[in-house]
Amino acid sequence: MNTTDIQIALCGSAGDGTIAAGDILRNAVAAMGYRVICFDVYPPEIRGFGKCISRVRITKEQTYALKRQSDLLVSLDDSHAIPHAGEVRTDGAIVYESKPVAHCPEGSHMSGHILPGQIPYGIPLRELAEKATGGARSRNLVVLGVIAGLLGFSPVPFQKIIEKKFAKQGAGVVSRNLAGFQSGYEAGQNTFKLDNVFCVPMESVPAAGKVVMLSGNAAVVQGCMDAELNTFFGYPITPATTIMERLATAMPKRGRRLLQTEDEISAIAATIGAGYTGSRAATATSGPGLALMAEMLGLATMAEIPCVVFVSQRGGPSTGMPTKTEQSDLNAALYGSPGDSQRIVIAPTNVEGCYRCAGKAFEMAEKYQTPVIVLLDLYLSNRYETVTLVASGPPFNLNANKPLRRLEAGEQYHRFAMTEDGVSPRAVPGDAGCMHVVTGLEHNTLGRPNDSDENHTAMSHKRHSKLQGALQHPDFTVTKRIGHSGRVKVGILAWGSTFGECLEAMFMAHAEGISCAAMKVVMLSPFPIDAVTQFMDDCDHVLVPEVNYEGQFAQLLQGLLARPVVRLSRVPGSPMPVELILGEIRRLAGAV
Amino acid sequence: MVAQVSSSASSPHRYVIIGNGVAGNQAAEGLRERDPDGLITIITNSRMLFYNRYLLPQLFRAHQDWRALLAYPPGHYEKHRIRVLRDCWVTAVDSRKRQVMLAHNEAISYDTLLVATGGRPYLPEELVECRHLIHPFGTYEHALAVRKALPENGSVVMLGGDMIGLDLARTLLDLSYRVILVTHENTFWPHQPVGEERSKFLAILQKMGLEVVDGDAMGGVVAIEKGAAGLPERRVRFRQGGDIYGDIVMSFYGLSPLVEFMMKSGTDIERGLLVGTNLRTSDPHIYAAGDVCQIWSEKDNVYRFYYGHRNVRAMGAVAALNMTGGNEHFSTTQDEALFQNEQGHIDSPFWAYD
Ligand SMILES: Cc1cc2nc3c(=O)[nH]c(=O)nc-3n(C[C@H](O)[C@H](O)[C@H](O)COP(=O)(O)OP(=O)(O)OC[C@H]3O[C@@H](n4cnc5c(N)ncnc54)[C@H](O)[C@@H]3O)c2cc1C
Repeated sequence: MNTTDIQIALCGSAGDGTIAAGDILRNAVAAMGYRVICFDVYPPEIRGFGKCISRVRITKEQTYALKRQSDLLVSLDDSHAIPHAGEVRTDGAIVYESKPVAHCPEGSHMSGHILPGQIPYGIPLRELAEKATGGARSRNLVVLGVIAGLLGFSPVPFQKIIEKKFAKQGAGVVSRNLAGFQSGYEAGQNTFKLDNVFCVPMESVPAAGKVVMLSGNAAVVQGCMDAELNTFFGYPITPATTIMERLATAMPKRGRRLLQTEDEISAIAATIGAGYTGSRAATATSGPGLALMAEMLGLATMAEIPCVVFVSQRGGPSTGMPTKTEQSDLNAALYGSPGDSQRIVIAPTNVEGCYRCAGKAFEMAEKYQTPVIVLLDLYLSNRYETVTLVASGPPFNLNANKPLRRLEAGEQYHRFAMTEDGVSPRAVPGDAGCMHVVTGLEHNTLGRPNDSDENHTAMSHKRHSKLQGALQHPDFTVTKRIGHSGRVKVGILAWGSTFGECLEAMFMAHAEGISCAAMKVVMLSPFPIDAVTQFMDDCDHVLVPEVNYEGQFAQLLQGLLARPVVRLSRVPGSPMPVELILGEIRRLAGAV
Repeated sequence: MVAQVSSSASSPHRYVIIGNGVAGNQAAEGLRERDPDGLITIITNSRMLFYNRYLLPQLFRAHQDWRALLAYPPGHYEKHRIRVLRDCWVTAVDSRKRQVMLAHNEAISYDTLLVATGGRPYLPEELVECRHLIHPFGTYEHALAVRKALPENGSVVMLGGDMIGLDLARTLLDLSYRVILVTHENTFWPHQPVGEERSKFLAILQKMGLEVVDGDAMGGVVAIEKGAAGLPERRVRFRQGGDIYGDIVMSFYGLSPLVEFMMKSGTDIERGLLVGTNLRTSDPHIYAAGDVCQIWSEKDNVYRFYYGHRNVRAMGAVAALNMTGGNEHFSTTQDEALFQNEQGHIDSPFWAYD
């Protein structure tokens, strides 16, 4: 066996340090050179109850999604971990507390739920933590040590990350956590290994700083910073909050401004206001916030003001399921404003894509003078992946504004001048001689209110036609086909975070000899009709997996292209299972 | 023959078996056959499913993954709905509440309990302090550790030499290792040849290639130490001097029944759990089978142990029948005498595995 592909699930209660342990684990293995994908699930509550799971997939080669089955489950709280015991594969292992202090009611201990094909590793986690540190708080570090010891990882990358992570809390905390880790490490090393979960050591370790571990939201922030985002207004909402939190740390250091507003209406209004003044501006929210922003987004469309809105979707409608993932805000993003208010909507499919889409969103907003919505979802926002950084500077054009022509003496500035591509040269307040009116009312080229039928028709056409340019936006992947070329039995069309699961399923189908290809559609508005039509023409069957109930993307496809597609719409609150997609591929290919 | 169904789907009978060995597994199978709806739970302190320990010496011939030694594939337990709690230590049985207490602070309730915990290797008092210098040999993990510690053509000092040890010894000799047997009254355990017969079998062992040291004549082993530099790893010291050396030391003094956790249960215990031929203990809800129990022998007028695979399996089957309302009696069908086989080697029904 010369490959590595293992998935570890850490499961505990809020307050057990489960997510922190997952964080150290993924950073340590990334430092060793492995590719990593992780996704944390945590409760809406802060501490004391609610389930936390951190799943970490560690591979030698790049992969695209988590696996349905984990190789190792580590329980910090059996009441939460027991329902996940079945997720461990045969010959995989389950690590759990063998000496709980409290009495366990019958059936509440993990040992009673381990299937015959799985390997039980009862370890006295609390006792080890107490012996090593004098308290049970570092049980999560003990667990981390057990994992590292069991899998034969070097302890050094873990130790370095522990030192860094806890440095601010003082030397005592660092040394206690290191001692906890060490005692777990020895226990893991001394455990007689019965499972068959192996990690092949990496031959080469990436140069420091070349490969980074980022969450989707962190990548968005990195993209914003590299695109020189200047002003950000936001109101916290899961799962978008961490975008604002991270920007709040990063922006002031570079002299940029961030303001937490009183609500989402205020946030978008301020963003549009800043955009109007020429400041590069953005906000971030989730479905309920997007609903509140709908009217203001219409203003940005009408007044042709660049602004970027990051929308991280969660289970809806309404407050819905704040800590569960879903892709059900597509319709709201595409159509959620009154009037004919088309805007650009793009949806990255992985963490690296979050970075690129974030930066490109500003380019597009400025180039086409329009709101741009970047559609994320909880799975993508919170998922961590190893990302290889580009060697040269940020790949974004920071001067995408259509240049202003010098006005002739006495010439009047037409802010909404009709041009071939529909984009008018834009002046911002203060540009000499460029005084103009900006309003939400329909207006003429000068910006003055005008509701004549000819004007409204011409302006509507202008506002829509200029967006078509985005389909050829430089250095931007609007769609991408992967997999078998030419005619295929099954084509998978997907958008957003689900595309990773689609790729995994497609590669599994390839291994079974099924001819199939997948296309990701990153730009959802304006819609790349030609590229998608061409792809559909190549496929006997088109499968559209998405995590929403209505099949919103499938509806979009059918509305625009009037072609039959096979819908695979599910709302489990979690990513679409790869096996489900694979099952559909097999069925469509006639392989079952 | 499915003669009796003692529980219904609405209130299934809870059978708990402590021990995942030959007796426990045979009983579990029998219980399932007799009571399709019963809840069957096996509890074991081992992390592994039931595997064939009789085959452990074969690991010296060729390494085998432990999965190859499993008596049943994992699917067997799922198919028969037998729950196996592994890595769980039973610390006590509360016969009043009918609960099995586990080391991790959980109590498992039973309607009928079978104790099938077998035995642990017996170690004479004077050697307990040197235990860390002795290689145990009861599990797959132990066998791999011995294999690792033993250099090619290396030497093993085998203390005692019960039939488990002698089984290993014959394999090691075959593979050109040196085996130095230090005799003890438990040599040949569970057989007890005496006088001339014992001498005859010792002579056969020598012919087979074992180096036999008369432990009694040397006053018995008093200590085991690390060998000095340039000498083999271990030094075995005798009361009357005349140390011997080996790369590893192993002890095989027979097994003693694992019953400590039953001490406060109120059931009758002598050395093992005392049972009638129906394998029921003095508590009507508790049965015992395998190496852990002493069965009443009408013939000998004593409670006695019956060893060997065939006996232990038969006990598991009888226990299952009686736990589900039957009235069966255990009687041995196994020959108990040590003998010399056609190759001139010693042989024993204890080594038969079927
Ligand atoms: C290496 C080796 C080779 C052997 N070779 C032979 C041979 O060739 N012929 C022969 O007849 N016999 C042999 N034996 C002995 C043989 O194993 C037993 O005679 C027979 O297996 C007894 O079966 P049993 O079911 O009574 O107990 P065992 O097979 O010993 O099973 C006892 C079970 O109880 C569990 N247990 C014990 N205490 C606890 C506790 N407190 N909590 C939870 N679980 C507990 C153990 O984990 C184990 O699963 C050998 C033994 C060993 C170790």
